[in-house]
Amino acid sequence: MKELYLCWSFDAHWRCLELEAQRQLDYSKASQPRIPPIPHSKFSPNRPPLVSKVSLRAASNHLSFITILTLSATNGIVLATEKKSSSPLTDPASLSKISLITPNIGMVYAGMGPDYRVLVDKARKVSHTNYKRVYNEYPPTRILVQDVARVMQEATQSGGVRPYGVSLLIAGWDEGILPDEQAAVEGETTEGEKKPTGKTGGILKGGPMLYQVDPSGAYYPWKATAIGKSATSAKTFLEKRYTEGLELEDAVHIALLTLKETIEGEMNGQTIEIGIVGPPADHLLGVEGVEGATGPRFRKLTPQEIEDYLTNM
Amino acid sequence: MVGKDCVAIACDLRLGLQALTVSNNFPKVFQYGDNVFLGLTGLATDVSTVSDLFRYKVNMYRLREERAIAPSTFANLVSSSLYERRFGPYFVSPVVAGLDPKTGAPFICGFDSIGCIDFAKDFIVSGTASEQLFGMCESLWEPNLGPEDLFETISQALLSAVDRDALSGWGAHVYVIEKNKVTKRLLKGRQD
Amino acid sequence: MRGATILKASDDKTRQLNKHTLYIQANAQLYSMRNETDLSPTALAHYVRGQLATSLRSRKPYNVNLLLGGVDPITHKPSLFWLDYLAALAPVPYAAHGYAQYYCLSILDKHHHPDMTLVQGIKVLEMCTDELKRRLPIDFKGMIVKAVTKDGIRDIEFNDDKVVKCP
Repeated sequence: MKELYLCWSFDAHWRCLELEAQRQLDYSKASQPRIPPIPHSKFSPNRPPLVSKVSLRAASNHLSFITILTLSATNGIVLATEKKSSSPLTDPASLSKISLITPNIGMVYAGMGPDYRVLVDKARKVSHTNYKRVYNEYPPTRILVQDVARVMQEATQSGGVRPYGVSLLIAGWDEGILPDEQAAVEGETTEGEKKPTGKTGGILKGGPMLYQVDPSGAYYPWKATAIGKSATSAKTFLEKRYTEGLELEDAVHIALLTLKETIEGEMNGQTIEIGIVGPPADHLLGVEGVEGATGPRFRKLTPQEIEDYLTNM
Repeated sequence: MVGKDCVAIACDLRLGLQALTVSNNFPKVFQYGDNVFLGLTGLATDVSTVSDLFRYKVNMYRLREERAIAPSTFANLVSSSLYERRFGPYFVSPVVAGLDPKTGAPFICGFDSIGCIDFAKDFIVSGTASEQLFGMCESLWEPNLGPEDLFETISQALLSAVDRDALSGWGAHVYVIEKNKVTKRLLKGRQD
Repeated sequence: MRGATILKASDDKTRQLNKHTLYIQANAQLYSMRNETDLSPTALAHYVRGQLATSLRSRKPYNVNLLLGGVDPITHKPSLFWLDYLAALAPVPYAAHGYAQYYCLSILDKHHHPDMTLVQGIKVLEMCTDELKRRLPIDFKGMIVKAVTKDGIRDIEFNDDKVVKCP
């Protein structure tokens, strides 16, 4: 019953989004009369819940979402996306869809760019106000995801605002809570028996974490997923390619293959954007020689690095 | 007080109004997890208020994060919570002691009433008898004490110090925190 | 100094009886009605402490010192709490407030026993009032004595007119 209820709400929000998107498209074309936005609190409980999915897809087409996909490996996560520019005159280097939120957490979106920028700002803000300034450490991925999801949920229930028109993928690395030696022992058994489970450590052992957040405020953990345009086919592709115990390098490779399947146009360092969660990138530290300092685990690959991966495909 | 793979934290039990003793059963050390402890000296009402506040905050942390709070995280929580009251502080000087749940390393630190952290490798003292405690700890403490020796050291230091302070004493609680084990002992002490 | 003290001492008491306690009483009764059970003395003491602690840092703090005595409705264990206007709460075997503390606590230290009976208790109380009559410079207006037992609260007759001479 609870599920059903949530679905209805989604539907309403998506419908609203859809219309909002339509309105904006129309507005830009200026060829059709403007459709007034409907208040998002109006929704029909009689419509079957399935419709929400349809309107989700419809919305993504309208907004020309771009495929975003991620793969979580045993030692990291890949976020990959196509940077689609509407004109050859744009400067691709200034376009950026993948953002760093905390040194260990990165985020990417499908949907409306301006809404995403606002959410990135808010995510960075709450990670400090709700966490860094209280505990002097950065939030674990799930906590940040919950905070961002709260921001998005509140937009569905507040008056005078429309929901955020984006789906997010948030990838991060968490420290585990198990004592070191215990975690090491458990790690050894999995490696020693050559039976990699591919499970990320969860909150006990820590490791890479990947979440999807929807405009409703619902969030889902994934091992690999895609959002945006042709997400369905990308996910089917990922289902075939994903194996347990994937290494980060393989994950980048699979991500590029999946991207290649689903996008038209050339793939090069300028048109592809990749963010990875991997081992600490100490070379990104501003100052050297600080005791106990570790580099950010999240970083974006440079166009040159992307080119290198593409040539190796 | 830090030992080898263990820490100890102790407090006296007196509650008084200036020179008048009201109660000899007022513990000032509180437990916030398997191996996270907080000692509070200062105004009695704020000792209760602050200990209740952190019980609430730590319980919320545990529910939200589905894990126990680490002493270092807790210390930063104490610091930020006290500094929140920068211009109307709680009149307490807290001490945090515990073992890191991941590495098992001892952790101790102290604070002033507005949350400035004082990290230490050996011992932290606080309260009306802090000067006496400094003297006793400086002379009795040595590195790498085992749990039993650490108990003896902290107990002797505390009892000797409070005996030279008219405003402290009347019994003591001593906690020795080891990995997977916490020992709490009640010292009767002088009741005069 | 003494004149001011007398005025303040009586002022304290009147407020204690009608203002703050009424509020507490109402809330304790509300709890009893809602949950169909009485609060335990410990729970009530902590509730009162919470109210007082909130009030302490408010614009107009309550200025009351309280002693809270009660018998747990379930375990029948008696308990006594000492609570001052700063909201410092302590469970105690015996207690007093104000100037009386300086005279009574030493007597109670000597004569109180954990398993004494009510009659013995009244005797020690009488020793305390005798001492107050003898030493306290403030005019002594008599005592109201009540006993809290598991069966309820009852008034105890107390001889206020006993004349105590200074030795």
